[in-house]
Amino acid sequence: MRLLEVDGVSVTFDGFRAINNLSLSMGEPELRAVIGPNGAGKTTFMDIVTGKTRPDSGRVIWGEENRNLIGLSESSIARAGIGRKFQKPTVFEDQTVRENLAMALKARRDPFAVLFRRSDMPARLAELAEEIALTEHLTRKAGELSHGQKQWLEIGMLLAQEPRLLLVDEPAAGMTPAERTHTADLLKRLAQTRAVIVVEHDMEFVRRLECKVTVLHEGRVLAEGSLDHVTKNQDVIDVYLGR
Amino acid sequence: MHRILIAILAVLTLIPVAGRAQDLQTILQLHTEEVENPGRRSVGVVIEDLIAARLPAVPVFLTHWQDREIVLNAEDGQFYALVDEDGDTATIRNLDTGDESEVAGDSLTEVRPNGGVRREIAAALVRFQLSDENPANRRAALDAIARRPDADQIAPLTASIEDEQDAAIRADKDRLLNILTARYGETTEARVEAIERLGGSITSDARAALSQILEAEDRVSAEAPDGNIAQVYTPGDQISRTEAYGRLVDAELAPAPVSGGAIRDALIANIDGGMVLDIPVELLDTDAQRRAAYDRLAQAGRVPPFVTQDRIDAALDSHSFYAVYEEEDAAVTDAARATLRSVETQVSLNQTADLALDAISLASIYFLAAIGLAITFGVMGVINMAHGEFIMMGAYTGYVVQQIVPDYTWSLIIALPLAFVVAGAAGIAMERLIIRHLYHRPLETLLATFGVSIALQQLAKNIFGTQARPLTSPDWLSGQMVINELVSISYIRIAIFVLAGLFLALLLFILKRTRLGLEVRAVTQNPGMAASMGIDPDRINMATFGLGSGIAGIAGVAIGLYAQVTSEMGANYIVQSFMTVVVGGVGNVWGTLAGASLIGVLQKGIESLNPSNTLAAQTYMILFIIIFIQFRPRGIVALKGRAAGA
Amino acid sequence: MTDATLALPSRTPPVRQTSTMVFLASLAVFAVIVTILAQQGVISTSFVKTLGKTLCLCLAAVAMDVVWGYTGILSLGHMAFFGLGGYAIGMWLMYARTEALVAPGLAAQPIPPTPSELQDAIGSQIFGVVGSSDFPLIWMFADSLFLQMAMVVLVPGVLALVFGWLAFRSRVTGVYLSILTQAMTLALALYLFQNDSGLRGNNGLSGLQNIPGFEDAPQSAISLAFFWASAVALALGYLLFAWVVSGKMGSVLRAVRDDEARVRFLGYHVESFKLFAFVLTAVVTGIAGALYYPQAGIINPAEIAPIASIYLAVWVAIGGRGRLYGAAIGAAFVSLLSSWFTGGGAPDIDLGVYTVRWTDWWLVLLGLSFVAVTLFAPKGIGGLVDLLTEKRRPERQGDYGPDKGAKRSEEGVE
Repeated sequence: MRLLEVDGVSVTFDGFRAINNLSLSMGEPELRAVIGPNGAGKTTFMDIVTGKTRPDSGRVIWGEENRNLIGLSESSIARAGIGRKFQKPTVFEDQTVRENLAMALKARRDPFAVLFRRSDMPARLAELAEEIALTEHLTRKAGELSHGQKQWLEIGMLLAQEPRLLLVDEPAAGMTPAERTHTADLLKRLAQTRAVIVVEHDMEFVRRLECKVTVLHEGRVLAEGSLDHVTKNQDVIDVYLGR
Repeated sequence: MHRILIAILAVLTLIPVAGRAQDLQTILQLHTEEVENPGRRSVGVVIEDLIAARLPAVPVFLTHWQDREIVLNAEDGQFYALVDEDGDTATIRNLDTGDESEVAGDSLTEVRPNGGVRREIAAALVRFQLSDENPANRRAALDAIARRPDADQIAPLTASIEDEQDAAIRADKDRLLNILTARYGETTEARVEAIERLGGSITSDARAALSQILEAEDRVSAEAPDGNIAQVYTPGDQISRTEAYGRLVDAELAPAPVSGGAIRDALIANIDGGMVLDIPVELLDTDAQRRAAYDRLAQAGRVPPFVTQDRIDAALDSHSFYAVYEEEDAAVTDAARATLRSVETQVSLNQTADLALDAISLASIYFLAAIGLAITFGVMGVINMAHGEFIMMGAYTGYVVQQIVPDYTWSLIIALPLAFVVAGAAGIAMERLIIRHLYHRPLETLLATFGVSIALQQLAKNIFGTQARPLTSPDWLSGQMVINELVSISYIRIAIFVLAGLFLALLLFILKRTRLGLEVRAVTQNPGMAASMGIDPDRINMATFGLGSGIAGIAGVAIGLYAQVTSEMGANYIVQSFMTVVVGGVGNVWGTLAGASLIGVLQKGIESLNPSNTLAAQTYMILFIIIFIQFRPRGIVALKGRAAGA
Repeated sequence: MTDATLALPSRTPPVRQTSTMVFLASLAVFAVIVTILAQQGVISTSFVKTLGKTLCLCLAAVAMDVVWGYTGILSLGHMAFFGLGGYAIGMWLMYARTEALVAPGLAAQPIPPTPSELQDAIGSQIFGVVGSSDFPLIWMFADSLFLQMAMVVLVPGVLALVFGWLAFRSRVTGVYLSILTQAMTLALALYLFQNDSGLRGNNGLSGLQNIPGFEDAPQSAISLAFFWASAVALALGYLLFAWVVSGKMGSVLRAVRDDEARVRFLGYHVESFKLFAFVLTAVVTGIAGALYYPQAGIINPAEIAPIASIYLAVWVAIGGRGRLYGAAIGAAFVSLLSSWFTGGGAPDIDLGVYTVRWTDWWLVLLGLSFVAVTLFAPKGIGGLVDLLTEKRRPERQGDYGPDKGAKRSEEGVE
């Protein structure tokens, strides 16, 4: 069934059309890779879906109730069930792994609930820590972790949020081949129960995901389909692959 | 005065006039009776003769006569001017020769002309003065008339206009005559015509003349209003019912309502053994109780009864309330009203212009004070709390230079660049020693520079003391340019405006046309990229900081010229400077200009609504800015796109 | 800072935290010692007042630490809330005191006064100095201690709520926000400076050290009572904030400080959390002010001037941000040192050619040492505690934490 529908979205920065009448639809569960050259509008697309950037026109329809996400704050959109993984791991380095995870756990987010409900669901926390292999490091500050551990912590935080849609920005950047395999497997596993959009540059990695691919170019969808299908598309070859 | 009269003498003696055979004393002796005991009618003959004689001594005599300083000496029956009186002896002066002599006091009789006569004399004097050789005296005479306008002055003024050679004075005479005619003219037509001619004039005397013609008096009467009615008041409409009743009471047409104080006094007067009638005094501690007790006293006939609302209503209904012009001629007042209205429109236009000038000069000051801050904030993201102290430093530099170089023009010429150098050097020192270590930690920079700020302020206090030091501007900068009676601007403010303009141009030139400007802009927009292109950010930061602080120093000299130099002067400008930068938009010269203009115009605008309360104006201005930021968080001129760094 | 493991709650409750316990115990010991010394006559009444006032400043500093050190909002306007709390209680003190003064005179009149006559007499006594005699509307509740105490909480609270809501919703952050709060303070101070502000213009409210109902009690007893009240308020405030900044709330607040955008993507409404911290600290600061000014005896608009709030920030920075006891120590240390130097307590230094008088040079020294602390000891006095307890913090790699909380390449608004 359809979870997210981006419909005719456009946005202009200082006369530069970053996104031009972009439409895209995601089901649940589904794994999708979004690819495209630099400046194709991949990041802006994620900014729009997560509420960071407000488009000039178009709609972003979400969930069973067909809520329009345009105009909602970033936090409302996050609470609606959209999680975002940044390219560079962004965790709260001054806080412990445990605190980082506890903050992300799905729970009421208003200040008074946060102030008065002080239990951080130890069982769920333990489970998550297990999953990202950081059980040993729960009381360490996130800033002390290695780069890879931070990546995992951030993934753990995303899982703790229990999002229905996960936006992942270039997960394979800077990873060893082994880590890439691991990550691809994880994404595929996650996509069994939810929608996952992976924005990626690396075609090799996209191939491993074995999913439907959307090619962006100059802010609009150039082609959509299986990787083999889009790589045969002449337009795609011209602007991207054949560079 | 005497010198002038001698000058007149010199001129007059050159004019051959028929019948100028006599001296002054001879003429006076012809009219001894009229001089000694002048009546308002009879004095005219004397004055005509005196004027006809065209003697230089005449105005002197007239002045003395008017000031009651003429004495009749019984010994020789001649008139003298009394110079001094000391006990028994008196010094007198011969009216023709000017020789002084001493005589016994009791032989002198003072000549005391009455008020009417003195007015006649004054009019005659005015005729002399209005035709005086010296333009300054003619102007003085005009000013005297304008200060105390009078119907009698019309004739001499009219007479003097024909011979007036000086075009400017002649215009003033015409104008004054017009004002006099408007107020005291003979016929309605003449007055209305004169009033209508006042339409183009916004001078205060013309406005005063109009409003004096329109002076009205409030009246109450049981009959219908009569006279030249200015306004009819309906109680509860143009005036409140309470006020209307108050006027009735004042005119003794109705009894005064019983006030709380009156009730209290009446009750106290009627206390008898701790009781008022049969009510214990202790119970009279509410207004209701007191009224009740008073009412009982009234029923007993011991105090006047309350004035009931019905009586008030009836009294108001049976009287009319209105204002009557003191001028009885309705045609004149109508004309005056119409003219005053058009004059007032012009006046408010001119006042707006004056306000605009004020606002522009304030904006220039804010611009000068803030632009340095805008540069450092915009380019380096550094908020410099010590910026105000750099302003102060510049001002004290100006002060010190003035102590060494006494010529104000030269000291100013030296002080401006020196202030730039001193404040700029201080800025660079601060950048090197402190700010450099705190880049990308703007809040810490804010606090560290605040530390510098309090240290510098106290240091200035220790060196220069707490009292304000003057920074005197050269003569050519003092005074003001008067455009008309309502619009004027001091030369210092013009100079500050010019200075602000120069710096705007200079900064635009530096930023847009020089290598430094290019690099500065590069660092502003993308520091990382700039660094990778070989631009040394250290050098740029130092240069910008020096430039920004230097301009603050120059602003200090400018501010010191029109305000005083104190150790706290910087602190007084720092918040406004921040506002200017934030409202205008960071990192943009035009933005700062827009911010300074907005704040200047706003502050003057709000101030003009309530000129007595500049504190309130500042309060409301800051509130406005807080709300403004809600709607344009990036300021008026916002950098757009990715360069904005958000 | 905690030894939490999975079996334990994530953070120790504040009372069981070592620092909180040490702080509260020291405070209690200090209060007892001061009481004994005061009763022995070793320390003067005015010094007890100074100490009591210092405790109130410590409370304000602790609140400032929560809003700045933990939440990352460098508010340059918190002393405005402090002053407002003082004004709110000062109104009652002045009203009740004036009433006590004028009532006997009126009662001696031939007939007893009506309520409105009493009001007028009090009004002309209080507002005579600004050429008025009518009570402005804001004095509506001045005759009620309870309602004015409510005002101590409500006025700063509502002002903080309205201002914070406006500022945070437009996403004004960093230096901009600081300047905006400074503007708020300045506007308030300028407003109060007016004679028709209804609060006696630059005369302010005075005679506040006379507590109505305790006219017969000696100032030495009153000063001790207020000293204790201040100590208790500081203890309670400290506990409250220690509780707030522990657990998940503290976690979120510090996260907001370090990376606001990331917190938003976690689904937290950042503005609500900022507003929560801002309003709560404003209210506590107001209460601190309400305790401070009866000990100071006078409040006027100069107390609200922007510089006062900057000093508050200075204290917190010198004491050490991001730790509550640091803020309290900083406030106590700097303000006591300051009154020692400016009060002529410090000996002059004769350099031969020039004699350094500390009354003149103290501010220079303070300014420069503040620069030095910012540059060389960003942890402030609190850093000494770290050294003493040898709890070496591992080097962090990120630009985070209270010391570098401001370190962001992105400044201004989003």
